[in-house]
Amino acid sequence: MVEVPKLPWRRPGGWWLRNRRYMLFQLREVGGVLSAVYGVLLLVLLSQYQAGPDAYASFLAWMRSPPVLVPTAILFAFVLVHALSWFVLIGKTQAVMSAGRAPPPRTVIGLMVGLFAVVSIAVVYLVFGGP
Amino acid sequence: MAEKIVAFRVKRYRPESGKAPFYQEYRIPVRDDTVVLDGLNYIKDHVDPTLTFRWSCRMGICGSCGMDVNGAPRLTCGTFVKDVDRGGVTVDPLTGFDVIKDLVVDFEPFLRHFLHVKPWIVRETNKPLSEGEYLQTPEEMEAYHQQSLCINCMLCYAACPVFQGNAKFVGPAALALALRYSRDTRDEGLDERLGRLSTRDGIWACTFVGECSVVCPKAVDPAGAIQSLKVLASIRHMRRLLLPKSARR
Repeated sequence: MVEVPKLPWRRPGGWWLRNRRYMLFQLREVGGVLSAVYGVLLLVLLSQYQAGPDAYASFLAWMRSPPVLVPTAILFAFVLVHALSWFVLIGKTQAVMSAGRAPPPRTVIGLMVGLFAVVSIAVVYLVFGGP
Repeated sequence: MAEKIVAFRVKRYRPESGKAPFYQEYRIPVRDDTVVLDGLNYIKDHVDPTLTFRWSCRMGICGSCGMDVNGAPRLTCGTFVKDVDRGGVTVDPLTGFDVIKDLVVDFEPFLRHFLHVKPWIVRETNKPLSEGEYLQTPEEMEAYHQQSLCINCMLCYAACPVFQGNAKFVGPAALALALRYSRDTRDEGLDERLGRLSTRDGIWACTFVGECSVVCPKAVDPAGAIQSLKVLASIRHMRRLLLPKSARR
């Protein structure tokens, strides 16, 4: 029998542009790395707070300057995409059983995002608007 | 029923010719109830007998006729031309596999992964025939029914960017079948399967893109199955870490 060569598979570089869901996946993965960067930024903020009012005020002024503010806003957007996309995924996987049945993913996703919003508002209220 | 002419743009690979792969266009008559597989069979029967592709049942059961239609993996027997005709229909071999000829891909990697998960009922000891069948309640059967619907069509592999970048990844269908047998009350192979699959190229390679569940024609939800296996593997790991050997099961 004559062996004929197979056409080997090679994944193209722009595979994640093939559809919207691949693109969202890539944003979520990049968002994971950028979440770590965002965490480091918050740790630096805490250390400046600990260093005293002058150091903290000067760090905040630096953060508010446009060359820092714009990348930070982009960073925050990626963190949001990362967090929200994981909430959506949790709803699709480990559904809590209710009366012997798993609730529909949409219900679980809605509850997760709703809980996320309530806790976020509570944290913002306690930090910025609390008594 | 009115007919119209639709252009089929089909990927050709003729290894015996030594030529690079190319697209060939065929203009064929279709009706509202023509599926993509009908179109390919029309080409084969009336236009170009050299076109090579797999098919068998024509009713979404055998899983043979999976191809990329306009860039998305689909069963061609269940895809109406009128639903995918956007000034023509482009048909490619399934993404992620080596191509043997035209639209025929090499499933060998999948078959290796398939055997790796032991997709059969594993028992340590079998009870004697005189004791009768292994009975199950409808609820026990329901626990694995969804994963048992898999027809091995490989659309989930064609949709999985993890498999496309790493052919060692066991992959969605094989892992869904691992869960199917592990949830079967007659099976005693869960521990062995988890030992085989809780690895870098097993369940932990899955980054939960979720596209496998989107393209699955039988709603098997392989992505969900893999996450369930991750939970089972984590429980197994913690048991092995914390409990004495005699109390691990």
